[in-house]
Amino acid sequence: MNGSGVDIPDRLAHLPGAAASKHLTRGVLTGQEQPPRVALLRASAPIADQSARWECAPLRELLEEAMRRFADSRSRADAWLAPRLHATLRMSRNEAADPAIWNFLALVAAPDYVIWRHRSPAEARNGEPGSVSPVRFTGPHYNQAFARLWWAAELFRNGENYRPAEIACGNQDVLNTALRLDAIDHRPTALAMVRVLEGLSASGASRLGDRVNALCSAVNAAGSTLMYDVIAADELPDQDGLRDWIEGADSAPAVPWDRLPDGPDDGTAPRDSVETLTRLFDKFQAEAPLRIRKWQPADEPSAQGVSLHKDYV
Amino acid sequence: MNTLFPYPTLVGEIEVRVKQVRIDGKPLSLSVVSRPQRAVALHQVERPNWEDGSIDLEVTLPELELADGPWSEVACVAILTEGSTNTRVVRRLQRDRLSSTWSGSVPVLRAMHRDRATLNVSAVATVGGVAGRTIGTADEAWIIDLLARTPVRQREIEIAEADFRDGPQEWLRPFKDAPWLVETAGEMPTILLNSSFEGITQLLKGSGNPLEKAASGLVAAQIAGEAWTAMFHSAVADLELDDDGAPLIPSGWRESVLRTMLPDVLPGLALADALIEVHNRHAAGYGWAELQSQIHFAASRRAQVPKNLTTAVRAITRSQEGATR
Repeated sequence: MNGSGVDIPDRLAHLPGAAASKHLTRGVLTGQEQPPRVALLRASAPIADQSARWECAPLRELLEEAMRRFADSRSRADAWLAPRLHATLRMSRNEAADPAIWNFLALVAAPDYVIWRHRSPAEARNGEPGSVSPVRFTGPHYNQAFARLWWAAELFRNGENYRPAEIACGNQDVLNTALRLDAIDHRPTALAMVRVLEGLSASGASRLGDRVNALCSAVNAAGSTLMYDVIAADELPDQDGLRDWIEGADSAPAVPWDRLPDGPDDGTAPRDSVETLTRLFDKFQAEAPLRIRKWQPADEPSAQGVSLHKDYV
Repeated sequence: MNTLFPYPTLVGEIEVRVKQVRIDGKPLSLSVVSRPQRAVALHQVERPNWEDGSIDLEVTLPELELADGPWSEVACVAILTEGSTNTRVVRRLQRDRLSSTWSGSVPVLRAMHRDRATLNVSAVATVGGVAGRTIGTADEAWIIDLLARTPVRQREIEIAEADFRDGPQEWLRPFKDAPWLVETAGEMPTILLNSSFEGITQLLKGSGNPLEKAASGLVAAQIAGEAWTAMFHSAVADLELDDDGAPLIPSGWRESVLRTMLPDVLPGLALADALIEVHNRHAAGYGWAELQSQIHFAASRRAQVPKNLTTAVRAITRSQEGATR
């Protein structure tokens, strides 16, 4: 037991999607009820591998610290949590692609975190409680509360350096839009997009979210005729480096809270490749049209001046 | 390729052949490769924990067309992708001057794949001063199946037996009187067959006299029909939208279900239009009820209900004739 009132299992397990979605009742999604622990544990399959990486306690510690640190601004927790979650829950892509592990984490090990991070504000009009979209509990890798952070860290890290992943996760539009794109499966593309984003934030560009979305559309559209992999070659990750890191989970200390942890030492993307694509994407970014917003405070005259609206008394 | 390209692309075909498959350095027998199905099966019972595979390819590009065309710095690349692990591995192939074929090897790292990867080949060149343009892609990609022992493209729906009444899966208990259940929430749709429902498994094995076989075929067709209907509904409900609110073609089994069923559900519409139509009807609710008979028709056609029913009717007629004769 802990302060949050969630009874924590010792180790992670696999919870099948059908069993998970069955228990996502309105009460669970609004955070008013706990998911039925006994039934969920019974539906779960244990993980045979006895490695320490499947222990729940280090994950709980991390999530509780995130809730404490970012009590006032929960979306900022993503950038802090993503690299630390990735470095705590050490897995190969093969293992992380199994939704059952994420279902278990969200419904059994940390439902309180999913509610804390993703619950919409209560609806003011009829006083209904806010709720969490079911995809945050069991959903595709770019939606699920923990999978999205783990995969963002995996796809945006550069070898053992998590800094690009931290920058990427500091922007909700990257998490919501870029993470869906197949283009970022090519590492130099992902890293170059982070560089462009970094440049934009540093220059204090306006409408950063719209710019990120425009950049994503442009990179994706150009990617259908331009083969980024040929313009900017990448190397295969070093499997030995990754394996050593995963096996090191048994002896590794808990991840640091105030500096970034080190990721697997499986090789970095070729510097030239990232630079070539950064130049290209900078150009895309400068040329990409921004989405037209319905509200544009600066350009649109206020309703009062051109009113067709009459006040009938 | 159906996309419109703002530059000249190849008309000729790109032909891809898998020459050899290795895991952990050891060559596998060529029975794991099916050329007509364009599939490679990498699962080896003898070596379940392999780590490092490779696929040797040989590719023929339309060389005459390339020689006369406006393309320079032509390269040929093999692209191995798998959506569920976000893995994308691209390797350049080398051109052999004598045979004018391109060849090379694509690594398949077990830790980077889960289930099924797709292998395709593209020709890339500099066109109009722009480097790295895709000028052609092989018509059909190869399937690299890491869980299958035999190389087949079309996957069958998984059928698993489970004891709904006394088995370990708690959530199946409320369904203890159902003979089967279709589950579409996972990576692969599964039909769960209730082994506590007396006689169902024997019936489906359906060996023996023609009447038993006919009954078995009929039940199998009914299960398949329900599975197709469930998969279709699930695929439509799970559609993801792009920025403009248009539905995207999903991946995996959802894609193949929609591709095979939409032409029967909304005849005469192109895939993209049918997808928009079916999404609108589902989301907005108009005409969704009317669509049910079309879905039902498409599903029973896929499940071969008419064919199995005819066989059953004939078998019954014959057995009655036999009795009265």
